[in-house]
Amino acid sequence: MTIAGRGAPKMMLVVFATLSLALLAAYCGPRWLAIVAMLACLALSTGLFLFEIYSPEYGFRMPWLQVELDAVPQVWSRGDPA
Amino acid sequence: MNKRTGARLPATLNDLFQLAMMLTMAAILTAAMVLQYDGGEIPCPLCLLQRVAMFGVCFGIIMHFRHGYSARNDGTGMLFALLLMMVSVRQSLLDIYPRPGHSYIGSAVLGLHMPVWSVVIAMAILAAFAIKFAILGDEHLRDRPPSPALGRLAKLVSLYVIVVCLINLGSVILQCGVDACHTSGYRLLGGS
Repeated sequence: MTIAGRGAPKMMLVVFATLSLALLAAYCGPRWLAIVAMLACLALSTGLFLFEIYSPEYGFRMPWLQVELDAVPQVWSRGDPA
Repeated sequence: MNKRTGARLPATLNDLFQLAMMLTMAAILTAAMVLQYDGGEIPCPLCLLQRVAMFGVCFGIIMHFRHGYSARNDGTGMLFALLLMMVSVRQSLLDIYPRPGHSYIGSAVLGLHMPVWSVVIAMAILAAFAIKFAILGDEHLRDRPPSPALGRLAKLVSLYVIVVCLINLGSVILQCGVDACHTSGYRLLGGS
């Protein structure tokens, strides 16, 4: 399912708006505004990241990454009576 | 070396370090914009979040040159480097196994695609901060304003970074409008 189908995140615009505000305030505005805007940007970015990678089917899992072997190779140690 | 010069040297080295890092971030963000506007490679949502993280690293540096040294500024930069690492590692793992609808976005540079480069960049930023702290510490950096010459240069680079950020804001408005971002085109220019 596409991201838009899950209820579109409209946060990218807000993320970049708060980021721009934070950078402008850091350059020539009050310090508290820069810090508050950057904290908001960090929180929104993290939320948007989690939203983007979440799949209704898999959750946060990545089942296409298989690290288990399909069949256990038949390897015996030296001295194994089998 | 007298005591005054000896105490000033770590602060100057720290200023040089911060300026070099901001210049590097500015160069990377500029290259991303060139690939986007000249190469026609429209960024995906995770790519945009990686740009946000790089701007976040610059934020700590801008704060340093405006308000003086604080470990909090470096901490902010490292926090955003960590965000960059998280996003880029996840995106690399999303696209590492070719399957329908999932392949690396954009062209490869020196054989590595953009999210893989972001992993390298995030590791380099964190390593650079770690080396800086290991060599310079922070006891000689407190209560020392940035050197005037480097401060002036940093102001220019800061302004450039802010302009790049505002261009990205405009680009996001064109690409996404107030909806989800897609790589198929610029929504407000008639793309899907």
